[in-house]
Amino acid sequence: MKKPLSVLLSLALVVTMAAGCSSGTTTTSSGDSDVIKIGVFEPLTGANAAGGELEVEGVELANKLRPEVLGKKVELVIADNKSDKAEATTAAARLIEKDKVVAILGSWGSSLSIAAGDVVKTNQIPAVALSATNPQVTAGNDYYFRVCFLDPFQGTVMANYASKKLNAKKVAIIQEVSNDYSVGLAKFFTDSFVKLTGDPNAIVATGNYNTGDQDFNGILTNIKAANPDAIFAPGNFTESALIIKQARALGITAPFIGGDTWETNEFITVGGADVEGAVMSTFFDDTNPLTEAGKTFVAEYKKAYPDRENIAAVTALGYDGYMMTLDAIERAGSADPVAIRDALAATKDFEGATGMITIDANGDATKNEAIIKTVKDGKFTYMDSVTID
Amino acid sequence: MNETQNSLGAYLKLHWKTAVFLVVLLIGIGLADIFVDSYMRRLLNLCAIYVIVSLAMNLVNGFTGQFSLGQAGFMAIGAYTVAIFTVPVESRTAIFYLEPMAPFLANIQLPFVVALILGGLASVVVAFFIGSPCLRLRGDYLAIATLGFSEIIRIVFTNTQSITNGALGIKSIPTISSLWWTYGTALLIIIATILLVYSSYGRAFKSIREDEIAAEAMGVGLFKTKMTSFLIGAFFTGIGGGLFAALLGTVDPKQFYFTLTYNFLLIIVLGGMGSISGTIIASFLVTLGQEALRFLDEPMAFGLDLPIFRPGLRMVVFSFLLMIIVLFYRKGLMGTNELTWDFMAQKFQSIKKKLSRKKTSTEGGGK
Repeated sequence: MKKPLSVLLSLALVVTMAAGCSSGTTTTSSGDSDVIKIGVFEPLTGANAAGGELEVEGVELANKLRPEVLGKKVELVIADNKSDKAEATTAAARLIEKDKVVAILGSWGSSLSIAAGDVVKTNQIPAVALSATNPQVTAGNDYYFRVCFLDPFQGTVMANYASKKLNAKKVAIIQEVSNDYSVGLAKFFTDSFVKLTGDPNAIVATGNYNTGDQDFNGILTNIKAANPDAIFAPGNFTESALIIKQARALGITAPFIGGDTWETNEFITVGGADVEGAVMSTFFDDTNPLTEAGKTFVAEYKKAYPDRENIAAVTALGYDGYMMTLDAIERAGSADPVAIRDALAATKDFEGATGMITIDANGDATKNEAIIKTVKDGKFTYMDSVTID
Repeated sequence: MNETQNSLGAYLKLHWKTAVFLVVLLIGIGLADIFVDSYMRRLLNLCAIYVIVSLAMNLVNGFTGQFSLGQAGFMAIGAYTVAIFTVPVESRTAIFYLEPMAPFLANIQLPFVVALILGGLASVVVAFFIGSPCLRLRGDYLAIATLGFSEIIRIVFTNTQSITNGALGIKSIPTISSLWWTYGTALLIIIATILLVYSSYGRAFKSIREDEIAAEAMGVGLFKTKMTSFLIGAFFTGIGGGLFAALLGTVDPKQFYFTLTYNFLLIIVLGGMGSISGTIIASFLVTLGQEALRFLDEPMAFGLDLPIFRPGLRMVVFSFLLMIIVLFYRKGLMGTNELTWDFMAQKFQSIKKKLSRKKTSTEGGGK
């Protein structure tokens, strides 16, 4: 009795697969000239799903506000890359070959974007990274652009903050050694801070940890002995919050500074009262938008998601990425990918929600302003904005 | 001269179906290489790499019965060897921007094939050092040790900044896009595995899987035989890892979490522990199946907006289908059988018989 059932079920499997293939082909055939397709390539499942979803929110909001360009409807094709590199390359190739997109937005996570970089380059489809801060995303790739600032810039901002605002002379660094973002930021911070203080031994201690670590007492004991004026700890929000908690328990009173990844609600829920006063740099502040476009974005976001407490910076970047791409399509006057690429490369003083964007020769957004936020009364609060020339 | 011709003729007479199949397969790959678009090409390449690594895993786990979970680690070794030795020298300073590449490596650039084989050999060397203590033991020690090893390799690669570029990974690896690289290697490895499994070595592997004590009593050197299987498996896995790096064009330590190993474990369990053809079928099924179900992630318009069609549904359905398969095929799709001509003829016969029996029984019922 069991045999026929199993045959039936395997048949069902085959039919589902066939259905998958056929639906794939039908979407391709609809790729005619009255629709412009833009691919959104994000981790929507897996380890980085939270970040990916926030970016998609921004892109979708922008699409709702500006659904047309050159008199054609813009259709978003969202592809999940499962936070996995192999999947990232196939997802990007699928967007290009099957869905015939003319441009791609994403992905959250620099390494996923780097993996897709080769695909967009060989197929000559322009891509705009939204929050990928690693310099390697755009380096040596004419088809990858970005709307956020880079790790070197963010490192410099925090070094300036530590040296000028905190008057720190000695800083300890705690880096998440398995995270390219954290390692890069720590390096650029070190370079810039040493230059600012003129003291080659300004970094008094360095601690390394791995993603997922829980106990940081070993690192922190060393740091306590070095007695730094401030501690720079860029890294994942959960681990960073735990580090600060354990540091306070050990009696370390030096202020903690970090990067934009801290700006998540988990950072505060895990850290509780101990993360009060922690300072971080970020791209965007919803209470104090830098531009008119930023004000529009905040107003529209609050209308679309009335129950959200604050707006994530990556959502604003998603919004900017979409708007900048549409602006480029308009200037190019056609939906030809190579023409869009050229228009994107020529972007100058584009007014985005996160500031004025000019694309440089590398394909990076030149931004000279970053926002400094701090945790106050259990909330991320605007503190300062730093301009670096 | 005459004799060899005769034996070749006899061989062809005996295996003409296989020979025809091989020729058709080669022509098929050749045609696919010319006509397939880059998305499908990427998927097919991935399938071939999964075939290679799963086959290597099945050799150790399925045929020799040694539960090894070090696939991700061996792949990492192969992948990094290819990455380090094939990245163009002129782009190295840009990639290693945090800390320059170690001077003894900085100017060495090898052709892809050499780097690929070197990666396989590096895996073998490492496998030897893990295997020599662990394979002497019985039980689950090998699984624990290899699992630990693959994590250690990942941590080591994360911290050797001047060699592997640490967490930043290496990019701009010259990529392969031709199907011949992956399918050529996969074919060679499939043939090597078939020859191995049906040789006296292969019989020794299987005897260890069935009963170690009986195998030892029959004169099979346990340690030596297990080691042979483990080292060959590591070599193939290293090669698979090298191809993987060249397909993606970038490597970083996060790719080689132990969860990667579970992909291959899934494939060999699904295909059948101890079946070469099962492994090949399952590799294609898993890789293409995940991609074919992608339409489930997209919002569907059946007139009404169904909220369940959202990113992630694909994986739910995929897991569900896997559970069903495992439920009805306890030993995997193929068990320990092979998809030979005889096997297919048998299946065909039994289906025919069943159908005719059903026919007669319904006729009988009609009366």
